[in-house]
Amino acid sequence: MTESTVAAAGAWEVPDRSVSPARRNLGRAVIAVPTIALVAVAGIQIAHTARASAPGFANWRPVAYVYVLWAICLGIGLVMTKGERGKRALFVLPALLFTLAMVVFPTAFGFVLAFSSWNLSSSVGRQFNGFANLRQLFHDTFFWQAMLNMVYYVLSVLVQYAIAFGLALLLNQEIHLRRFFRITFLLPFMLSPVAVSWMIGKSIMDARFGPAAQLLRTLGAQAPAFFDRAWPARLSIMAMDSWYSIPFMMILLLAGLQALPDEVLEASKVDGSSGWQTFWRIVFPIMLPVSITTIILRTIFELKLADVVINVTGGAPGGATDTVSSYIFRVYNDRSNVGYGTALAEFYLIVIVLFLALMLWLSSLWLRKVR
Amino acid sequence: MVQRNGPFLSRPVSRRTILKGATGATAAFAASGLVGRSATRAQTPAAEVNSVIEQILKIPGANTHQPTQSDMEKVGELCLGPTKAVIKPNEFKGVGIRFMGLNNQNVHDFVFRAFLKSWEEYTGAKITWIDLSQADYNSHFQQAVATGTIDFDMLEMGAPFEGDLLGKGLGSPMPDWVKKVINIDNLVAYLKPPVGTWDGVLYRTTIDGDCHNFNYRADYFADKDLASEWTKSGGQGDWAVPTTWQQVQAATKFIKGKKVDGQDAYGYLDVCKPWGGFGWYFFASRATAYAKYPGDKSWLFDPTTMKPRISDPSFVRAIQDVIDVLPDEPPDQINADGNTTGFNEFLGGTGSMCPWWGDIGPAVYTSDSSVVQGKVAFSILPGSDDVYNTKTQKWEKLASGPNFAPNMAYLGWGVYVMKATEKNAALNKACWSVAAHLGGEAISQWTSCYPSGFQPYRTTHFNVPYWTEVGYPKDYIESYLKSQSDSYNHPNSAIEPRIPGIFQYYSAAEDELAKAYAGKEDAQTCANNISAAWEKITDGIGRESQIKLYQASLGS
Repeated sequence: MTESTVAAAGAWEVPDRSVSPARRNLGRAVIAVPTIALVAVAGIQIAHTARASAPGFANWRPVAYVYVLWAICLGIGLVMTKGERGKRALFVLPALLFTLAMVVFPTAFGFVLAFSSWNLSSSVGRQFNGFANLRQLFHDTFFWQAMLNMVYYVLSVLVQYAIAFGLALLLNQEIHLRRFFRITFLLPFMLSPVAVSWMIGKSIMDARFGPAAQLLRTLGAQAPAFFDRAWPARLSIMAMDSWYSIPFMMILLLAGLQALPDEVLEASKVDGSSGWQTFWRIVFPIMLPVSITTIILRTIFELKLADVVINVTGGAPGGATDTVSSYIFRVYNDRSNVGYGTALAEFYLIVIVLFLALMLWLSSLWLRKVR
Repeated sequence: MVQRNGPFLSRPVSRRTILKGATGATAAFAASGLVGRSATRAQTPAAEVNSVIEQILKIPGANTHQPTQSDMEKVGELCLGPTKAVIKPNEFKGVGIRFMGLNNQNVHDFVFRAFLKSWEEYTGAKITWIDLSQADYNSHFQQAVATGTIDFDMLEMGAPFEGDLLGKGLGSPMPDWVKKVINIDNLVAYLKPPVGTWDGVLYRTTIDGDCHNFNYRADYFADKDLASEWTKSGGQGDWAVPTTWQQVQAATKFIKGKKVDGQDAYGYLDVCKPWGGFGWYFFASRATAYAKYPGDKSWLFDPTTMKPRISDPSFVRAIQDVIDVLPDEPPDQINADGNTTGFNEFLGGTGSMCPWWGDIGPAVYTSDSSVVQGKVAFSILPGSDDVYNTKTQKWEKLASGPNFAPNMAYLGWGVYVMKATEKNAALNKACWSVAAHLGGEAISQWTSCYPSGFQPYRTTHFNVPYWTEVGYPKDYIESYLKSQSDSYNHPNSAIEPRIPGIFQYYSAAEDELAKAYAGKEDAQTCANNISAAWEKITDGIGRESQIKLYQASLGS
């Protein structure tokens, strides 16, 4: 290692000679005292929640106040003990503590609930019930129907991708009114899915008065309906979902297309490549990273699909259009079954994490192979 | 703008005509058979109340429109008398009330807001509204109660939730002065205690009467072409309004493929889509005639074990009925919820028979979307030629004829005040004053006659002249009121259990029913699955406490 590289590496190391031992000790105390207070207050409240006869607070608000106080003291304490490095930590600390409070803690608490029987109408409140929720989940036909539906919905992302790519290619050309079309194609993405549900699902596709059904009747269809049987209903949901989601994919892909190096495309033209050859051998491979990112992002959104289903079909007919989220909504919202609803949500979270990890791993393998 | 038949809202009203008419109505009811063992006796309110009713029934006035916000504000102001008699001006200055209710169909909270505007101005209190959709009501309410995060001082609530609220000691008992102001004596019999009470204490200001009645298109069943085709096709008996579910099934199958007024004709309209638990009531309306055996108060559960009766042959037959007739109903009926069926389809001219709460009656003549004026009539829910006896486990034909069992779906809305308000005497009194205003005698006549989300619930509401002076055709309104009255007073009416978590049972059933309607499982499997789900819910809430509360709600 040369002296210059050592110097470069050391540029990030700031000596904390300015921190005196006394200040460091005081800083440690500033952190330790609130930490003890936080542990004590949280412990008292946990004991009180577990056994009502134990002393405690009326609600969890005091614990939240002590947490905020602890967070502030932690920041002060870090500066006092670490000097410049402590100041740097302050840039990250608020985000870290916020994530801890708003993401990590609820998720961990969710796991506690997932192993509980907690029906909101029950006079005995939450009770630990071991793996009962998990056993129920494996025998729940509605849940597994919803999981199967999710496979169909996620597969529809590939169709959405193909359409979005086509539209992006179109809008990347020097066509007339290009700006107008770009804005027009983006409009559905600006609409709320709830508005789409009512405008399209409940109005345009209404079997009695909707213009889409009227049109089909004019074309000779007998009693057209979009949501009366499993596959037409599922496809109708996919169509609505695609209508407002394709623009999102399209805009990402369009950005990718606009970043393509002109010289490569010009070279292929000079070499006499046809349009298809240019697309298939040059544009598509270069666009692969953008495409994979787009598909993964869209898949994450798709896995959370719920609003359109809840508003338009409520999972009907017979759970054929249910998504896992819309089913969890019913279990939690309509049946007040917090324990089982949370167990479903946590289980689904694990499935999503594993699925996305697998997807990312496969895509990186594929990209490496292509390159 | 829809075409109106008849002189709706066209004649001026005078106190004399109202009083004269109201008195005459009692005689007319008696003559027409409305008064009697199975009818609600129409009473006349006190003169001062009558005077207010006389004024408010003119609002919105002759040949106009659906009542507007401003119309309802006027009604609220004219009904302030009882409040002014008890509360001093600005007595509640600085008091803030949080009121939770529904925002359905531009009624409920929309109506309350307008009614209470003048009350707020007079008393100085300020109301903050928590508006919920019907499908979100149960969850918001349950979560608030269970997690101790009650964010309301008073609420609009149906009697089925009393187990959840009053059973946990969260209600404030009704003060005596409120009982006097709202005159609880003239409530219809089925809404009197034990409804609204818990352990003998009254908590509820009733503002609604609920039951499912049978709404049908009279023009269909008077249609000569349909009658002739019915005879030719070998239909049993004359072409007439079905009075049993067996006849409803036959008529629905027959009507499919026919035309009435050049439009595709349809028979019965089932509600098949899950609707936050409220869809259950429509299935229950089909099942009560099969399942509610005369003399046995219970019909959903065994009162000693809470074992569900849903897998009995009675309920299985009702499920099978829906499965059998669904292909003959309008396209996409499987995706229709209650609002779609009642307001989009029936009022919009699609279908000829549907069960609903009493909202359809006034809505036929007051909803801007109704196209069925002059074509609709009413009866109690159809009966059945035979009924299942759970004791003998056999179908029986009663010597008295078909078994009728009107479904007292939801037992009406009421206003309840939370116990927590008792810590602040002014707040508690202000809440009860709001309840008394909304449940007042005069205002209730207006809410019965106009679209408000509420139906007749006092004996005085059955005075036909009030309704004819508003503009409803006499025959029409007599048919409507008779269907309501006969349902309320039926000796074999199916009363809903007021037990905690009742909507969980309904919601679980809706999901399974939807599966059966979609052809994914047969009727018996569907019923067995509902039964299993209900057993789980009972165990989750606590079987022993549910048995105790179920027995209490049955009055045993």
